[in-house]
Amino acid sequence: MTSAKAIRLVWWRYFDVFRKNVGYSVVTTFVEPLLYLASFGFGVGALVPALQLDGISVTYRQFVLAGIVAQTVLFQAFFEAAYGGFVRMYYQRIFQAIAVTPITLSEVLWGELLWNTCKSGFAAAVVVLIGCTIGDFHWRGALFILPVIILGALVFASMGLLVAARSRSIDNISFPQFLLVFPMFLFCGVFFPLEQLPSTIQSLVWVLPLTPLVSLIRSLMLGLPLFWPAWLILILWAAVLVPIARRAMRARLVK
Amino acid sequence: MDLLSVDRLKKAYQSRGREPFWAVKGISFTLGPGECFGLLGPNGAGKSTSMNCITGFYQASEGAVRLMGFDVYAEPRQARQYLGVCQQEDTLDSDFNAFDQMVRYASFFEIPEAEARTRTQTLLNRFGLSDKAREMVEELSGGMRRRLQVARALVSQPRILVLDEPTAGLDPEARRQLWDIITEYRAQGNSILLSTHYMEEAERLCDRVAIMHQGLILDVAPASELIAKYIGTQSVEEEIRPGLLWKRLPNLEDVFLKLTGSHLQEDSEE
Repeated sequence: MTSAKAIRLVWWRYFDVFRKNVGYSVVTTFVEPLLYLASFGFGVGALVPALQLDGISVTYRQFVLAGIVAQTVLFQAFFEAAYGGFVRMYYQRIFQAIAVTPITLSEVLWGELLWNTCKSGFAAAVVVLIGCTIGDFHWRGALFILPVIILGALVFASMGLLVAARSRSIDNISFPQFLLVFPMFLFCGVFFPLEQLPSTIQSLVWVLPLTPLVSLIRSLMLGLPLFWPAWLILILWAAVLVPIARRAMRARLVK
Repeated sequence: MDLLSVDRLKKAYQSRGREPFWAVKGISFTLGPGECFGLLGPNGAGKSTSMNCITGFYQASEGAVRLMGFDVYAEPRQARQYLGVCQQEDTLDSDFNAFDQMVRYASFFEIPEAEARTRTQTLLNRFGLSDKAREMVEELSGGMRRRLQVARALVSQPRILVLDEPTAGLDPEARRQLWDIITEYRAQGNSILLSTHYMEEAERLCDRVAIMHQGLILDVAPASELIAKYIGTQSVEEEIRPGLLWKRLPNLEDVFLKLTGSHLQEDSEE
């Protein structure tokens, strides 16, 4: 068995669970972004005039819908990895069970990360599809968005896995949830342009991984100029978080 | 050829700012074809740490473990292809029903699905769980869950079955059921490595017993030989109530007491 096959077998276990509980899976994966879209896109969007971004006029619905794609990536990847990962590691002991078969713990953790990344990607792709269907997004941008979504999902899945590995109890996950994930969700450009923030805060939020993700998605989907350093920031986050998260989970499991 | 050889295995737990704690201090033994080998000792003796090192889940600090000739740390995939593991903790996958989780587990050994389904049905029948095949794990009793976990470990038809405290926490009836299953499996010529803190379990199931205490194996031999060597064959007197003496045959508990000065069960409750 190759490592790639071992990881695929682990991934397939997650997909099998997703498929068996398809009703629950669809609700928990796709309903939340649709609710945000309905509330902010159609509700708030009707009250807010068009915005000028890099000299291009976009409606608030277009603006916020691109943010909701990024927010979907964040929430789906982080919560699945943090809460789901903690349950699988601590209560179900799934990692421990698989890691005594011919599949190694390293491959189990890759399977976990890739599943969380893919699940988040599925959900974000649905929002992109809706945006294209209602005419808010460029179809051409949708072709290039996938690598961005996958990279962002990998970053937040790693963040979630790191949180799961470091949390003593499931309640402890609330700390990074309220102190990092929700502030990112509110202040990294999902709902309003970063120019509304004081300049020092703007610099700060550019360090966080959601800001470059929002920027890249918005640029690609609305046909705005790309801010290339955003790629670099995201890649740096992935390069740092993926090995740290894997090492932390390994340290938690293997004494 | 030995199916399993453990050579001077040591394991230390490191914690920041503290001296390493040596849970296993250099144990060696082998497991032959068709043999049931038991590690007997109280909780904290180092049995589960040893088991985790033998399955390759923990990296040993020193020493070597070879399964079917493969180094479990350098060649984990090849080594574990021959291994079926029932861990001490309940590691059943609560996202699947009894049947599906065995089929899914078999996939980790690259067993084709049709073959996995046949084997699963056979094992569920043999373990008295066929009527529970479509039930989720949380709907099963403790004894059924344990039987299912052992059945799952057998779905790959391993050459070596590793059972870490297989009957811990089970009621006497469920324990006896599991003993019967293990005895039957053993009678088919399969090899078993078992850890337990129940002396009756070790006496009943194991060809050879290793008395384990504070990370060391104090002696290894068939239970009857250990008893004869350390206690003798004469009945021993035990005070079962103040002033009330009872004569009984000597057992491994007496051996453990003689070797360590403490009881198996007393230590297990710590």
